[in-house]
Amino acid sequence: MIVVKDLVRQFKSGDRTIKPVNGVSFELEKGSLASIVGKSGSGKSTLLSLLGALDKPTSGDVVVDGVSLAGLPDGKLTEYRRRDIGFVFQQFNLIPNLSAVDNVMLPMEFAGVRKAARLQRAKELLEQVQLDPEKHSRRTNRLSGGEQQRVAIARALANEPKLILADEPTGNLDEQTGEHIIELLSSLSRDHNTTILVVTHDRSLAKKTERCFRLQQGRLTEEVRTESRR
Amino acid sequence: MSVLARSVGNAFRNKIRTAAVVAVLAVAIGLALAMLVANQAVGAKVQELNASVGTTLTVNPAGGQGFEGGGEPLTTAEAETAASVANVTSVVGTKALRLQTATAGTTDSATGTTQQGPGGGFGPGGQQATVTTNLTAAVDAGTLGNRNGSAGTTGTTGTQPVRALPITATGIGAEVDSTGKALDITSGTGLGDYTAAEAKTLVGTSLAEKNSLTVGSTFTIQDKTFTVAGIFDAGTTFGNNAVYVTLPEAQTLAETPDELSSMIVTVNSMENVDSTKTAVQDALGTDKADVTQGQRNLETAVSSLDSVKNISMVAFIAALATAGIIILLIMVMLVRERRREIGVLKAIGARNRTIGLQFVLESLVLVALGSVVGAVIASLASGGIASALISSNSTTTAATTTQRGGGLAGAMPNGAVPGGGLPGGGLPGGQGGPFGGASQLLTSVTASVSPGVLAAGIAAVFAVAIIGALVPALLTARIRPIEVLRGE
Ligand SMILES: Nc1ncnc2c1ncn2[C@@H]1O[C@H](COP(=O)(O)OP(=O)(O)OP(=O)(O)O)[C@@H](O)[C@H]1O
Ligand SMILES: [Mg+2]
Repeated sequence: MIVVKDLVRQFKSGDRTIKPVNGVSFELEKGSLASIVGKSGSGKSTLLSLLGALDKPTSGDVVVDGVSLAGLPDGKLTEYRRRDIGFVFQQFNLIPNLSAVDNVMLPMEFAGVRKAARLQRAKELLEQVQLDPEKHSRRTNRLSGGEQQRVAIARALANEPKLILADEPTGNLDEQTGEHIIELLSSLSRDHNTTILVVTHDRSLAKKTERCFRLQQGRLTEEVRTESRR
Repeated sequence: MSVLARSVGNAFRNKIRTAAVVAVLAVAIGLALAMLVANQAVGAKVQELNASVGTTLTVNPAGGQGFEGGGEPLTTAEAETAASVANVTSVVGTKALRLQTATAGTTDSATGTTQQGPGGGFGPGGQQATVTTNLTAAVDAGTLGNRNGSAGTTGTTGTQPVRALPITATGIGAEVDSTGKALDITSGTGLGDYTAAEAKTLVGTSLAEKNSLTVGSTFTIQDKTFTVAGIFDAGTTFGNNAVYVTLPEAQTLAETPDELSSMIVTVNSMENVDSTKTAVQDALGTDKADVTQGQRNLETAVSSLDSVKNISMVAFIAALATAGIIILLIMVMLVRERRREIGVLKAIGARNRTIGLQFVLESLVLVALGSVVGAVIASLASGGIASALISSNSTTTAATTTQRGGGLAGAMPNGAVPGGGLPGGGLPGGQGGPFGGASQLLTSVTASVSPGVLAAGIAAVFAVAIIGALVPALLTARIRPIEVLRGE
């Protein structure tokens, strides 16, 4: 259960301050699948970084399972990112000189998973995101954008996080592969009780989520749904 | 994939840059190691010099050195007096004899020249008794010998010039040469008890060769048969044209029991040499004995070697610091370059210490490569560096040494002394006295690369590298995970 309370993040650019996130409040049930839509530059990535403890809000708080992130020291925030969060970055952000498998193994290494176990799981995850087995050991800077995106998704799933924050996870994928990724994410929320929040421009993806939020002028509004999930 | 594997991988990410960094590091590390090796070599040499002759005083009869001057001979009683002075660790008496080849001796007696000079042997030039032997000197008279020889004979009867040179025989109270340096016995044994009269000798290598002597061979001095107990190598041609017998034996041969030609006083430490010199002089009386500090010239040598030692230590530290700074700058550059990537690692949950460790290990990979190449450079260059450092310093030292060596040469005959101890008969100087070899000692500093020194040097390099890498590693802790969202 995630409770977001009056979250504000402002940036100073020159003598102007901009507030891409300006008083956002919402709650997400455990295991729900939700999406955020909004124009480019509306602050979607900024909001996601606050939820994932990559950044600290100017004011407001995020409470995850009763624990307030605002009150956590840096070491605990690192632990939160490692254990509880799976982040899929808009720019993938893989380590370019490491292979796909090594990239997926990294979060598990930081969590202290034994080597054989992490290799095993990394391979399974790469299969789940439908990356060619022959590309598992290829350096990620030699993979296509879509392939990199799938490795990034596999890496986000590595430590079985309770919250997955995915920034445009299907942006570089063809329709069919995109469908598969959406299917994978919704099965995670269904079967593993994982809470999933995706930022997307993809109408069909947004339609498939239980809840859909729109970010506009720093404020989040929930779109009222008539049709039910799928 | 572990932190270490990742660090190694990162170290080779940009191969050309890695090669450049390793090359620069190798030069700095190689220089540091070469300087350390030079420092150790010179340090060892200084110790050796100090240990061998650095703390000895030479006592000669007042007014006389070698064959010159007059005065009363030293006695065993005076040796005991000297031994009781504070800070004196040992007193070794010597009794110098001159061995004249029997035929040359005959010539002398035939022309009526006595074996001993005016003054019954204790006057001028009477420091050394001349006795006959069946040995032939290993040194040819040569120009110097003949010049000195004729100068000597004109003073007497001006007959046939003496061509055969005398051999130095010294009675010694311990297994040291006439300058107090330990004898280097290359075959056979020492004389055993140096305080007992015994018909055993130690023979210099060239003299032994000239007369086909080996351990166990016999020859005669004053018609008495002596056995060769050992062969020694003094390092110089002149020094090897010599015979050592025990002190009592020499005194018996010279028929002057209890008399000493000189005494070698060993002082317990370098610092006490000056004060002890004064104390020994006071104890023996200025009218009885002259106390000289034979190694004055070596002090110059030692102090110049000491400065070489200091220079090389400073250079070692400077090269080490350079290596540290290179690492620091390279790692700072790498941290800045990989800012975003560090953000990624943090965003997916890496601890600060994991990232810091990764960067320290990466720098150590570079240093390890630099050390391997540097050690090769050092082992090739250190010999050259050490001798270059020393030769530039020892040129001046060698000059002083030669001059002073001339002045001291009288303490030991230098092959230029003719028979018939005449006042001023043999001019001191020429082929170098006991300290003529000082410059040789200096240049013989061998900068051998010992694995221990190399290991210590590399350990120092790694310690400095860790310090150098720690700063950038700590910088990574300040990078925030949000960097991951910033553009490159
Ligand atoms: N560190 C920063 N300093 C100043 N301005 C920033 C910073 N980070 C983001 N912004 C600004 O905040 C606004 C929101 O940016 P954000 O990346 O959240 O947009 P977005 O909704 O993800 O857009 P897109 O759909 O294009 O990814 C933008 O105008 C951006 O320029
Ligand atoms: Mg964005």
